Amino acid sequence: MKLAADRVLSLLLLGLAAFVAVQAWQLQVPFSYDPVGPKAVPLILSALLAVLAIVLFVRPGAGGEWPTGALLLRLVFTMAVLGAYAALFINLGFLVTTALVSVVIAWLFGATPVKAVVGGLLLALGSYLLFTYGLGISLPTGSWIEPLLGSH
Amino acid sequence: MFDFLIQGFGVALTPLNLGLAFLGALLGTLFGALPGIGPINGIAILMPLAYTLGLPAESALILLAGIYTGSEYGGRMSSILLNVPGDAGAVMTTLDGHPLAKKGLAGPALGLSAVSSFIGATVAIVGLTLFAPLLAVVAVKFGPAEFFALMIFAFASMSAMMGKDPIKTLIGAVLGVLISTVGVDSGTGVLRFTFDMPELYDGIDFVVMIIGLFAVSEILLMLEHAFRHDQDGEMAPIGRVMVKMSEVMYCKWAILRSSVIGFVIGVLPGTGASVASAVAYTTEKRISDRDNTFGTGDMRGLAAPEAANNASAAGSFVPMLTLGIPGSGTTAILLGALMLYNINPGPMMFREQPVVVGGLIASLYIGNVMLLLLNLPLAGVFARVLQVPRWILVPSVAILAFVGVYQLHSDLMAIYLMLAIGVFGYVLRKFGFSLAPVVLGFVLGGLMEENLRRALSISGGDVAILFQSGLSIGLWIAAALVVLVPMFAGKLKAKFLPAKVS
Amino acid sequence: MPNSRIIPRWLVAVVTGGALLAGAVQAQAKPPECIAPAKPGGGYDLTCRLAANGLQEAKLIDEPMMVSYMPGGIGAVAYNHVTGVRDDDPNLIVAASTGAALNLALGKFGIKHKVDDVRWLGALGVDYGAVVVRKDAPWNNLDELMKAMKKDPSSVVIGAGGTIGSQDWMKAALMAKADDVDPRKLRYVSFEGGGEALAALLGEHIQVFTGDLAELKPQLDSGEIRILAALSEERMGGPYADIPTAKEQGYDVEWPIWRGYYMGPNVSDEAYQQWADRLRELNETESFKKLREGRGLFPMSKFGDDFHQYVKQQVSDFETLAKEVGLTQ
Repeated sequence: MKLAADRVLSLLLLGLAAFVAVQAWQLQVPFSYDPVGPKAVPLILSALLAVLAIVLFVRPGAGGEWPTGALLLRLVFTMAVLGAYAALFINLGFLVTTALVSVVIAWLFGATPVKAVVGGLLLALGSYLLFTYGLGISLPTGSWIEPLLGSH
Repeated sequence: MFDFLIQGFGVALTPLNLGLAFLGALLGTLFGALPGIGPINGIAILMPLAYTLGLPAESALILLAGIYTGSEYGGRMSSILLNVPGDAGAVMTTLDGHPLAKKGLAGPALGLSAVSSFIGATVAIVGLTLFAPLLAVVAVKFGPAEFFALMIFAFASMSAMMGKDPIKTLIGAVLGVLISTVGVDSGTGVLRFTFDMPELYDGIDFVVMIIGLFAVSEILLMLEHAFRHDQDGEMAPIGRVMVKMSEVMYCKWAILRSSVIGFVIGVLPGTGASVASAVAYTTEKRISDRDNTFGTGDMRGLAAPEAANNASAAGSFVPMLTLGIPGSGTTAILLGALMLYNINPGPMMFREQPVVVGGLIASLYIGNVMLLLLNLPLAGVFARVLQVPRWILVPSVAILAFVGVYQLHSDLMAIYLMLAIGVFGYVLRKFGFSLAPVVLGFVLGGLMEENLRRALSISGGDVAILFQSGLSIGLWIAAALVVLVPMFAGKLKAKFLPAKVS
Repeated sequence: MPNSRIIPRWLVAVVTGGALLAGAVQAQAKPPECIAPAKPGGGYDLTCRLAANGLQEAKLIDEPMMVSYMPGGIGAVAYNHVTGVRDDDPNLIVAASTGAALNLALGKFGIKHKVDDVRWLGALGVDYGAVVVRKDAPWNNLDELMKAMKKDPSSVVIGAGGTIGSQDWMKAALMAKADDVDPRKLRYVSFEGGGEALAALLGEHIQVFTGDLAELKPQLDSGEIRILAALSEERMGGPYADIPTAKEQGYDVEWPIWRGYYMGPNVSDEAYQQWADRLRELNETESFKKLREGRGLFPMSKFGDDFHQYVKQQVSDFETLAKEVGLTQ
């Protein structure tokens, strides 16, 4: 099982090396003042990567322990939460998204619901005040809030 | 001869300027300590403020320089405590700093890094005071061929980092170099690996890269540890807070060597704290890591990059003040700030603007002492960050990552890219990769390719240009020694290498 | 998920409260904003600050102007943003320069983006290209340099802060073309920005640097460099009075680098006019004249529709030029 992980990796790297080589080969270069050009380095790197991948396939090392089941689900869920954070960051605004995301992450890390909600809200508000007033960084307000408050 | 400095101390010691130096040091430490928010953000944010307040040029420069040097101090905090670099120059600090924190030595690690930062900065500021005009002449002798040789030397020293899994170290470095090829090719303007996404034209931003690679992947790893309740992710209880004199003395050669390396690399236009700390760390590991303790919490492995990144911050003022050429991304902004004041730094500045130059250099001395006094007692306070429960710490890291990237890019694609790089970093770490070779490959690889191709454009394709100057020949020899000497007797190593490198 | 039912009720109540509070905090009118389509510190940052500081000092805006950064795609990301997301924001201007017009002409902002996709607002200043050599260079004037280049293009190493197709390269290519030399035959080295190229010139790694006139003032003052030609229409005044133009030396090459702004395509005529008037008024104030000089810019007075037509003409000129020097088909 452990050996297999590194072998899967080596196949992935071989695939990447092939992809890089094909992409680099297809570059259209009008002209270049140096004899190396933009293709050479990616091509050399892809060759190097391919050789290293083959060595790794022949002599795989000890792979780590891979997440499965509930843990894997949580990891995927965390990334989904962060993805949603990014997607909503501008439209919903910093405060709302940050509060929501902080609550969910706090809860994922074992806080009780009450702690998670209070902690998340305080974090959102605190960081908002720190960034906006302490450090002068402008953060998205959220596009929904503007018509609500009648400002332009 | 040092009239400008005496005049400068007169300027810097006025109450207003002392206060501004302190404010700059404090804010800089804070900006640097927050992952993703570095000196560039700090200066960009405060520059208009300084201007709006109507501060005179020397005062504005004192404030902004305080932020710059302060953030090199602050950058190490999250590196040590959270394994997330606070800014570009602090990536190497994670390698030994975080393992020290895991051993319960967060306080001494913070203290030692403050001392190393102080010494590194002091060496560099003295160098700046004494040799600035002279160094400027030498710095411009460093052309593409010499830069290429320097990169060869850096990669050769990286061979010291092979560790227990050399193949994965190599793969990591190759992946790092590959990532550096994304974007507009600097020679021909051809787009490489951009897949028609304009967000990728300028290449992958270093901040997005390290925040993704370190912060996001760290969040996922912490989740795993929390889920499994395993010991690996737990911190040892915080022991003593202060660093011991004996520990500083143990690192003295590491600190001094790295200060010089950092200063020299900082002086070269086009390289900054990230290259300086990388070269200092790998060199130091090559020279003094006899028992293979670097990477597991060796004090010298922490002291070296910290001395170097602070030294390079001060060193990058040399080309800015003497030639009007920025030595790093951050001095480029300082240069812009000066232009708002109708001051064009350049060869005449020492003569025409002695108040500004002297005030700045004097304030660097003062700010540096302030930073040490500020940071030593703070070590104990900041070490307490480790006692913050995970369920508050992790959302905070996420918030900082998002704000840092958003502030620099005002663009969602950069955030998605950061998240994607985070998953990539997590997977690499699960496969047993160290992230350092990836970052080193990314930082050094791009410079190596660019400068090789520049050198060959100059010579019209003649490879001889790479070995023409004394500087490049020296670097090639040093590179060869760094690889070959350890293959022979270990005793030879101790005798010859320090002399060749320093 | 234990207790997950409790969360929403808590959330709805408290989050809404917090959000309204935040809204109230930021409810004041939105301040004017300038996007610098680059990282902090570059030319675009300074272009934004020129407007921000100038307008504030002249009291032409009520609130300080915010400067935000949108690096990526040599300006393409910001162009996308303004033509797509914030296409009608009356408070938003974006910094631009000759480089943006060049990139539009070369299709580097994407084939679908055209010069008419935004409203070009006005320029607050202009710099000019310059042909620079070290003080000890063997050429005394442009003609000597050009003759040497004509004899053997590979004998002169030219360097500058941009890739093939960039402004700096265009200057070199146009010089070559004026001399009937194929730009591809040059020996040209591209650096990361003008600063590095200047360092390479001082360090004797390159012999000629195609830079910008006013940016070189400190090195010119100290006598480290000589400027063989200014790529301007006529001689500039002040410290540059002794520098002949390329044109008067018989090589018809001009390269103005204007610093200006554009707005979204769907901004109302009213807002567009208001901004154009503001810039026009600013351009006349004494405090701004000092600011512009400090920033190393020469006056340029083109605003509103006048400027829009200027940029449009420039882009179409660049399209022709790009074909002539062999960049595009």
